[in-house]
Amino acid sequence: MTLPPPTGVPAAGPPATETRDTPAIEALDLVRTYDTHLGVVRRRRIKVEAVRGVSFAVRPGELFGLLGPNGAGKTTTIKMLITLLLPTAGSARVMGFDVIRDTTEVRRRIGYVFGGDRGLYDRVSALDNLRYFAELYGVEPSEQKRRIGALLEMVGLTGREGEKVEGYSRGMRQRLHIARGLLHDPEVVFLDEPSIGLDPVGARELRQTVKTLVDAGKTVLLTTHYMFEADALCDRIAVINDGKIVAQGTGNDLKAAVANRTIIEIETFGVAPETVDQLRADPDVVEVNVEERDQSQILLVQSEHGTRITQRLLGHLTDTRVGKVIAREPTLEDAYVHLIAATGGTDGAAARAALETAS
Amino acid sequence: MSTLPRSLRLVWFVTWFNVRMLLASEFFILTTFITPLIFATLGFLLFHAGGETAGQTLLYVALGSGMMGVWSTTLFGCGGAIAWQRWEGTLELLVTAPSRYDHILAGQTFGAVVLGFYGIVATLAWGALLFGMPIAATFPLVLPISIAAAVLALGSLGMLIATSFVLYRHANALGNLLEYPIWLVAGLLVPVTTLPLWVQAIGWLLAPKWGMDAIRGAAIGSSPPWLSIGMCLVLAVVYYVAARVMLRVVLDKARRDATLALR
Repeated sequence: MTLPPPTGVPAAGPPATETRDTPAIEALDLVRTYDTHLGVVRRRRIKVEAVRGVSFAVRPGELFGLLGPNGAGKTTTIKMLITLLLPTAGSARVMGFDVIRDTTEVRRRIGYVFGGDRGLYDRVSALDNLRYFAELYGVEPSEQKRRIGALLEMVGLTGREGEKVEGYSRGMRQRLHIARGLLHDPEVVFLDEPSIGLDPVGARELRQTVKTLVDAGKTVLLTTHYMFEADALCDRIAVINDGKIVAQGTGNDLKAAVANRTIIEIETFGVAPETVDQLRADPDVVEVNVEERDQSQILLVQSEHGTRITQRLLGHLTDTRVGKVIAREPTLEDAYVHLIAATGGTDGAAARAALETAS
Repeated sequence: MSTLPRSLRLVWFVTWFNVRMLLASEFFILTTFITPLIFATLGFLLFHAGGETAGQTLLYVALGSGMMGVWSTTLFGCGGAIAWQRWEGTLELLVTAPSRYDHILAGQTFGAVVLGFYGIVATLAWGALLFGMPIAATFPLVLPISIAAAVLALGSLGMLIATSFVLYRHANALGNLLEYPIWLVAGLLVPVTTLPLWVQAIGWLLAPKWGMDAIRGAAIGSSPPWLSIGMCLVLAVVYYVAARVMLRVVLDKARRDATLALR
């Protein structure tokens, strides 16, 4: 799988101030507030702060992950960066261009892909969709055929391009979205939960495609709910919660927040809430989260005392049927859950449940 | 490719694409292809019942019925297309494409208007086949110019109306509101001289009135066609400039209020 070489997209020279050190994406104290209404008869106007001072910088060629629970402000942040929304306060630049003033210059340099079924013309073929957007994105007519062919090949839709999009599976739609987002060979690609709703094979293919983009020198900003995906793909990650960045760094940097902990996973069947509370009350236990499975509950006990407390933990569970007990190193998901719980907005169990739902 | 040919190519391409999209909609096909024939049949029968069976009168009715269809198609094509794009999630993609959105909107609107002019052809054929209406134009060489001027004027007005659809998700209510009154005010079925003067004055600001006058003037000599053609062109420029100004305001407001993604 190879990324097609650049095409004759309309001249889009670098801004005068751009240097090698200029971030590809730069957000400075971005704020976005929405006005909305409550009530039907007595309508009351309220303000919702979706993004509350987000700052980060993404280097050229970097794959940067933005992680956070639903409603944390990820999509709103991306929409400000791609010029769809005006920030209420703060500023942002993409390839050195201001997202508020230099919208055309920004738009020439970015591609974006939103997850989900929307964003395509269902009643015509994939080829028609790509031809149409190639025109809108200013791809030279002489380049369009080659470019579209190469992108169809890249996303694995060659041979299916003549079919109407309404008959496509979700995975095929998502791959078509990616081809659409790359038509004008953008320097910066925004991927907003691109793997949402994909089956495991589709998600793996998509991750491979994302790697291909980075190998081709693209700067990628990715939001995802899949922690292993972020851990495997992203050079750096920012965790956003309740409209604020709560942590930023490499996957290992984030894991360092829980590096001194051991995760003890205890499979239980019908554990009582009081028993979980007893575990939480144990002085050597830092955090307990419960994952509901079909017939069982997985207790995720975080401790800074390694496996030495395992027997004592099991002592709290004498009245509970216990299955497997596993001790492991913390993962990025554990770090994420810890960060979200520690910064308010939701507790660890809810954060993990949200992840499970998203997965 | 230089800027002007690129812009023209873009408008042409969007027009072509929108025609294909509209033709994939059964509701649009019904509105565009069947409704003018129903209007024409009702008109022919009404005038026939009133003893008005002269060829010029039947032509008057056929052209008016056809233009009613053109206006309905314009409203549905420019507004409905944007409403549909909201549902499909493509409106955000179009607005944030590097191409100028007024060119995209122009292509969408003119696609609908051009398709709508099928209605005039259909009602003429319908009248000739079923009601023995003679097809002859007083100024045959002026007629194509009249039609082109009417297309420009209606397309520009469609663009102006479409700007409200970009901003408001429920703007189709406005589209519905504008359909029947403009049939009357523009004199598409009954002469505007039967209406109060202040109502006639509203019609003077509207493209369908001058487009209709231009076409009828060339076809049956009911009024001087060149004056109406000139008014069509003036209004086309006015509407287009107003649409561009409105679009700038509307897109800024949509970015501020986050309304583009609303369904």
